[in-house]
Amino acid sequence: MTTVLAPMGGTAVRLAEVPDPVFSAGMVGPGLAIDPVREPVVAVAPIDGIIMKLHPHAFVIVGDDGRGVLVHLGIDTVQLRGAGFELLTTEGARIRAGQPVVSWNPVSIEASGRSPVCPVVALDGDADYVTGLAHGRIDAGDDLFEWA
Amino acid sequence: MAADAGAIIAGLGGVDNIIEIEPCITRLRTEVHDASKVDAAALRAAGAHGVMAAGNIVQVVVGPEADTIASDIEDIIG
Repeated sequence: MTTVLAPMGGTAVRLAEVPDPVFSAGMVGPGLAIDPVREPVVAVAPIDGIIMKLHPHAFVIVGDDGRGVLVHLGIDTVQLRGAGFELLTTEGARIRAGQPVVSWNPVSIEASGRSPVCPVVALDGDADYVTGLAHGRIDAGDDLFEWA
Repeated sequence: MAADAGAIIAGLGGVDNIIEIEPCITRLRTEVHDASKVDAAALRAAGAHGVMAAGNIVQVVVGPEADTIASDIEDIIG
């Protein structure tokens, strides 16, 4: 069982409501999204593990059980080519849940015409094994969902 | 399973059909000359989780190895 923590504060949003067809269809896996607070944010690791992929706008952490959790900071943010994102760790680093990964600002993402909503995805997970989805207001580090 | 770069190129209609290929964290965002030459079934068989097409922009969902696969593809198409 993996408890996936909220990488930032905000409001829980069902993946189906994310304005991106790949995430909303659950094509990379089930999970939950966060509509972040509108202030500068430090996104933190949702699980313990190794930083397998670290892009400015998204990262994947793989736990010791081999399961990966993706955090994507806003929608279509790859187009920003890293502008406005600051990496606080490095690819390959071992990290604990709750430690900082990337700082960014949802306000400037929204000002660029993009959605700042952040999908948090159990990569290649089975939706039947993702339970306990959070509702409403959440703070960084709160339980977001369970991955059995 | 990592997707096969050569099979993805074939599924996108071949080297000559690909204008640009750009990795996002879980997907390849590609621009093609002729979207009708894209074979979604072949792309799935090559290891893609899914294919989303809008006009000449085709997104191939391959999982978090997207950047590795994109560089493999760029090595092949030059």
